[in-house]
Amino acid sequence: MADTILNVEHLNKSFGSKHVLKDVSFSVQSGHIVGLVGPNGAGKSTIMKAVLGLFNYASGTITIDGDPVSPTSHKAMDKVGALIEYPGIYPFLSGMQHLKLFAKESTTQDQIDETVDRMKMTGYINQKAKSYSLGMKQKLGIALALVNRPKFVILDEPMNGLDPQANKDLRTLILDLAKQGTTFLISSHILSELEKLIDDLVVIDKGQIVYTQSMAALENGGKKLLVLKTSDDAKAKDVLSQNGYELNDADNVNITEKADTKMADIIKLLSDNGIDIDDVQHIHSDLETSLLELLKNDKVKES
Amino acid sequence: MVTLVKQEMYKLLHKKSTPAVSVVLLIIMTIFGVLSKTNPKYWGPKDMFVSMYTGENWVVLFMIAACSSIIAMEFQYGTIKELLYRKYYRGEILVSKWITMLVYSIYFFVLTFVYSLILKVILYNSKFKLSDTYANNHSIVETQVLGMVGAFLSVWLILSLVLLLANVFKSTAAAISIGIIGYFALSMVSGLMFVLMQKWDWLKWNPLNMMNLPSQIVDNSYHKMTLLSTPEMVWGSLIYTAIFMAISYVVFKRRSV
Repeated sequence: MADTILNVEHLNKSFGSKHVLKDVSFSVQSGHIVGLVGPNGAGKSTIMKAVLGLFNYASGTITIDGDPVSPTSHKAMDKVGALIEYPGIYPFLSGMQHLKLFAKESTTQDQIDETVDRMKMTGYINQKAKSYSLGMKQKLGIALALVNRPKFVILDEPMNGLDPQANKDLRTLILDLAKQGTTFLISSHILSELEKLIDDLVVIDKGQIVYTQSMAALENGGKKLLVLKTSDDAKAKDVLSQNGYELNDADNVNITEKADTKMADIIKLLSDNGIDIDDVQHIHSDLETSLLELLKNDKVKES
Repeated sequence: MVTLVKQEMYKLLHKKSTPAVSVVLLIIMTIFGVLSKTNPKYWGPKDMFVSMYTGENWVVLFMIAACSSIIAMEFQYGTIKELLYRKYYRGEILVSKWITMLVYSIYFFVLTFVYSLILKVILYNSKFKLSDTYANNHSIVETQVLGMVGAFLSVWLILSLVLLLANVFKSTAAAISIGIIGYFALSMVSGLMFVLMQKWDWLKWNPLNMMNLPSQIVDNSYHKMTLLSTPEMVWGSLIYTAIFMAISYVVFKRRSV
């Protein structure tokens, strides 16, 4: 088993009478990029803040690289960089001054410059942050999380406000850093973006972990569909279901693809029955579909 | 801790208002210096020097603003998370801010003291000597220094309250207004307070009464109204400051951000 860098066990947290985290347990493997997803208000930011030692929690343990984390125990934070909710920015300082302010003594100017360069912030890094746009602030927030080359990086909605190019740059940077051994815990609602990054997925709903799996397992577990457009959809549906194909409820002809489903058989079957095929589409369920499916079926009920 | 204080200083020094405030302070002191030269009837040269050409009052205002903003700005800008999720303990973060403010207040007192000496030398070098007797058998410079020590203690009593309020309300506005009202309310309510204190003796221990320390330290006859000895007031001020600081510390440590 690979090393775990983050270990959360039986974490419980309440705000007043509201029980926001219920027995949350998950772990993050060293060098992996882990996605933390869930509906609004599911507890993603709360988990991240607890992991960063910003919250007291009722019970449970959190360890980073073996060191316990709580509001009174911050030793492990030396290895962590983070961006939570929205970037905290002093309007009277420039981007570079922010980076210098939060840089550790062991972080060199070259390393700071490299971070700036990789985030493509060179053009405005010496301007005061109050003139920054939302996206520029977001980039600075990410740069602050990465500047000290932490082993473990926590990013909450990092793609917020980024333009498509910046999005792609960020993805490349995260993948590069992960290759060099940095571990990431990332939350995002932009599932199509997240999908391109993550190795593992943690799904949380109403304060409970409902799913933890690798992406590979999720993709294999998902349905593959074959969608046909024919000259006579109604007849095609009848013919296919009589011949043992599993049809999904939809306007068009929607077949669940199985290991033994062969395109040639379907074409032959339909053309034997005088039906022309106009168009064929393979649909793999993406993260979004799988996730929505998961959340719809999940057994967590409002307590 | 040294790193943290350095970081706080860095932020303070990079605020535009920081140098501006020092410049404004010197300009105001110069104006009152010149006024006391041209209109000695209204602004007595010796009185002006002893009160550091009104510098002391302005220092209080500027320090109230600085103390409330050093805490509240972190909440306002959302930078509090960045400060707290590092390897440092929460207490250290707060104490580094206090130390920064302590250094800043000492800087202000030294600045006003030195500049009032400079103004004195330029404007009245031959008119009066620092060793002249001013009042209560104290020389002018003794009066000034004693007043400064008293002011420093009572200013910190107010500042500890401002630091606490900024911490509780997370907003500069509330902390600044209560701080300023607290400081200037004294002159308005002290009359009533002294009457009430004659009736209920224990009221003499209220924090507003401690604020009379700068007056009493210079003029011992104040004792008749404050009903406290000067050492009692010094200790009272220190203890109130410590209590407000302690509450601040607890609030800051327990806060979820």
